[in-house]
Amino acid sequence: MATKREPERFTISIGPQHPALKEPGSFQFTVDGEIVTKAYVRLGYAHRGIEKAAEQRNWIQDLYLLERVCGICSHIHATAYCLAVEQLAHVEAPARAQAIRVLVAELERIHSHFLWIGVSAHEAGFETLFMYSWRDRETVMDLLEGLTGNRVNYSANILGGVKCDINNEQTTAILDGISFLEERARHYFDVLTNDAMFLQRTRGIATMSRTQAEVMGAIGPTARASNVARDVRVESPYAAYKQYPVKMALDTRGDLEARFVVRVNELFESFRIIREILATLPETELAARFPRRVPAGEVVMRVEAPRGELYYFIKSNGSDKPERLKVRTPTICNMTSVIKLAVGHQLADVPMILAGIDPCFSCNDRTVQLKDAGNQASTMLMWEELRLHGIQYYQGLNK
Amino acid sequence: MNGILAFVALLVFPGGLFLLAGGLAYEWVDRKLLALLQNRVGPRWFQPLADTIKLLAKEEIIPDKANKLLFIGLPFIALAGGLTAALYVPMAGIKPAYGFPGDLIVTLYLLSLLTLCMGLAGTNTLDRFSMIGATRTLTQVFSYEAPFLLALLVPAVTAGSWQIGTIATYAQSHWLILVQPVGFVVALIGLMGKLEMPPFDAPEAHTEISAGALTEYSGRGLAFFQLAKAVELIVGLTLVAAIYLGGVSNPLWFLAKTLALLLALAGIQSLLTRLRIDQTVGLWWRYGTILVLLQWLVLILLKRM
Repeated sequence: MATKREPERFTISIGPQHPALKEPGSFQFTVDGEIVTKAYVRLGYAHRGIEKAAEQRNWIQDLYLLERVCGICSHIHATAYCLAVEQLAHVEAPARAQAIRVLVAELERIHSHFLWIGVSAHEAGFETLFMYSWRDRETVMDLLEGLTGNRVNYSANILGGVKCDINNEQTTAILDGISFLEERARHYFDVLTNDAMFLQRTRGIATMSRTQAEVMGAIGPTARASNVARDVRVESPYAAYKQYPVKMALDTRGDLEARFVVRVNELFESFRIIREILATLPETELAARFPRRVPAGEVVMRVEAPRGELYYFIKSNGSDKPERLKVRTPTICNMTSVIKLAVGHQLADVPMILAGIDPCFSCNDRTVQLKDAGNQASTMLMWEELRLHGIQYYQGLNK
Repeated sequence: MNGILAFVALLVFPGGLFLLAGGLAYEWVDRKLLALLQNRVGPRWFQPLADTIKLLAKEEIIPDKANKLLFIGLPFIALAGGLTAALYVPMAGIKPAYGFPGDLIVTLYLLSLLTLCMGLAGTNTLDRFSMIGATRTLTQVFSYEAPFLLALLVPAVTAGSWQIGTIATYAQSHWLILVQPVGFVVALIGLMGKLEMPPFDAPEAHTEISAGALTEYSGRGLAFFQLAKAVELIVGLTLVAAIYLGGVSNPLWFLAKTLALLLALAGIQSLLTRLRIDQTVGLWWRYGTILVLLQWLVLILLKRM
């Protein structure tokens, strides 16, 4: 690596490849000793052109494509898409299907939050917590596998309903599983709020005031840790959240510890909702008939992913394919807060601040910016030019 | 005859082969214990050896702007420091191969050589992660070195000699951990700092600065640095066990005591979160040094009486 040592500027670049990042993203931190004085982020390394790809596939194929936007919160993407398309087609999924959607979504939230506890403990250098929380996460992965047949991309949804039903055995398994997880979550809550060494790394670090959170557009647990009462499940209940209302987990402190507290409290809320759903699962069909073509129209759908608000915009022109599909994932909204909050903190705190928003780079990359390595000039290419560029590039490779 | 004995001492026991094998074995025990405590499977018994052989067989990439001589030489100096230090320490419960009044100080400085070499290696390679890593390594030396030194000098004063062999003989009849528990704790934690074990692994915190000072090292250089660390682990454990835990009069005691210490180290490693470098410095100067100075005060008062 080339060194850049100027009299007063010492820039550390974290990424695109770096042990702290599980996915590619580029961060430049200008440091004065150990203190970060300037931070810069560049995203787009994991851009996969999913939106464009969605326009080329029909409504049913898109379901499976969009489930792969994120490897962790895959179900919530499919749910958002299904709800939106159902709204366009004026089809309503039966009550049992909606309840199962919520059930899987909450199991997914548990899986995501356990994963996150591990990742942030790892960033802080607390490997034991990392190993233990990931071991416990296996329980919920097994439950999801038992329910849907898959550990990661569950494919529980179909347009107009869900694919999988729940029988008595599965109900017992889920109840047993979440009892175990609840006990573990209590233990982690104890560790995260009482372990003096861990608190040195979280308490009072990266404190974001309520105003700051609102100005920077933070969402999800990150915002709720700064006492911003925003949760799509509460403000506009979708699927079966009307029948199973959610109590929002809030914290006033806004530091990293508060984010841990909020997320663990959300776990408890998820356990409660799952128990409630299993106790009062409505007896209806699993899916409604769904047409192949969807009437022309536009729809906006917001759902609460484990990381925050997930936003879908879909435009249909009456054919069997969407005309335009736009996805905005929570990470992109929270990224501003990382860059702002990192300044003034120690370099050692940066991985924790970044992990604090639970980033997911490959989800948020909706665009890619090409920069000339020499003069750093960036160019914007339209679709046709990009296509041409691609063809020329690969022809050049073949020569 | 003497010449042959000296040769054996240097190459086979206690220096050389024995030390390398012992170091790797102890490194494995440490890794395995840590893995078991963290609910992992952990490496197989020959893993550290396999890693070393693999690294030795690999190409060593030297960065353009680094001083070549230093880059290649520093790992050797670090390893040599650890190997030499072992000659003055009762390895495996057998009397030190060499000894002279004051060899305690020399041994401690030989053990510091590794850290200094790593600091120099980091600054030499000019990589950004190495620079930060080296700064942290050297900052850490200044925080734990003084308390560590003071903690090992308390028994020396008690025993009335600054020669490790004499202190070890004295310690065989006096379990100094009972009368100087603070010194023991500081010495043990200081050893963790020296070896950059968690929670003192800020200099190589890989989620922040990749591999810290050794980021640019590969192949032979990296293998020697790792060997040096393994050697330092076993020498450091022997030193602390010999001085504080009632001496190591025979190989069995040596094994039992050093492994008990290693178990304690693994426990501490698995329980604690990494300290930031400012927290490390704060811990050592606010608590470590003060505590060990109090220990000194008690000792002086008792000696006067």
